[in-house]
Amino acid sequence: MSIRTSVVNSYHNFQQRVLNMFPNSEYSNPNSVKHIKKVGEKISSAEQRLILGASALISQPFIDFHNRDVDEETRKVSVCRTIAKIIAGTTTGFLIRKGCIKAIKEFSQIPAKGVPKYKTIFTPKNINDAKSDAYAQYRNAMGTVVALVVMMITNFAIDAPLTKFLTNLLVKKQEDKK
Amino acid sequence: MSLGSLFSNFKSTMYKNYGEHPGKMLVHTGVLGWILSSLAQVSAVFFNDKISAKEKSFLIPQEIADAGFNIVSFYLITSSFKQIASKLVSTGKLTTKPIKSFLTKNGYNKNIGKVDFNIEKLSDFKDIKSEYRPFKNGVDVIASIIGSIISCNIVTPLLRNNYASKQQKKALAKMNYQQKQLQAPRGISINDYQKMSAMKYSNGSLKV
Repeated sequence: MSIRTSVVNSYHNFQQRVLNMFPNSEYSNPNSVKHIKKVGEKISSAEQRLILGASALISQPFIDFHNRDVDEETRKVSVCRTIAKIIAGTTTGFLIRKGCIKAIKEFSQIPAKGVPKYKTIFTPKNINDAKSDAYAQYRNAMGTVVALVVMMITNFAIDAPLTKFLTNLLVKKQEDKK
Repeated sequence: MSLGSLFSNFKSTMYKNYGEHPGKMLVHTGVLGWILSSLAQVSAVFFNDKISAKEKSFLIPQEIADAGFNIVSFYLITSSFKQIASKLVSTGKLTTKPIKSFLTKNGYNKNIGKVDFNIEKLSDFKDIKSEYRPFKNGVDVIASIIGSIISCNIVTPLLRNNYASKQQKKALAKMNYQQKQLQAPRGISINDYQKMSAMKYSNGSLKV
């Protein structure tokens, strides 16, 4: 048996073992299925960023605050910076992603009479149905890619200075409390 | 190849790859997003003159570690979650009532849960596509979100804090060593040196 076949077989067995760990499940409640489908349809990278940011605000400052490997002063600055970073990153990340996805939707219309050419600039070839789920997902993906390009600038121009400003503000507030 | 046809190919690739796989898109764009935001955050700490050198010695490695751990753990954990969820749906282990009925009716029951079995590759897949695809996309997205919360908000902060505190200790030890070198070139402090020299009558100092 060649090395390649043996690696492929091992990987195959590993995958099967992982699958076997899960019981067979069937969603019979139509409401649950409806919600699951809705998540796939509605959640884009913008909402994902918002969910990540909100959950980060709960867990990350707590983890930083209980980091006993650093002195108290550093720990406090670290907590302030983490909070500032989450607020700045989530706000700009969500707004830019959402804005870009909206803009792409506007500029990826199906070519038709009365639709200006510039409004089809992001429309792929041979697309006729703008209402399909696949096309909605394409618009989300393209909007996210454009957002990432925009964020190459805003990360430096907005995120970083805003994080710095918020960190200093939170540190000052903490010092004033003393 | 012209710029126009390159852009046209790019749009088609995006549609083909992500149009029907939103979970995959969330993983890929998430990794790219973390790389870009980490670059900006490292430079923000570096150029913040209100953060002391001591705190920077912790925060800069913390930020670099955050970036590294974030990118690696985001990719590994999030994509593993997504892959497992995808496999559960495509092998029929996780189904809805109509999908299960379809599998039973067409005699695929015995293949459920086998790693090689893929509902999407069945010859009569089109009969269940409209039910299967949105369900699979939903499961993929939920798995990607759970994976990204675990990786970004629990695993990464724990790993990066551990790494950064070790780096801070190293940096502080180095800073202390450099200060000692500056204050006492012969291995003793300036105070000790002055006291010692004052005790020597021969050096011209008057001992009172």
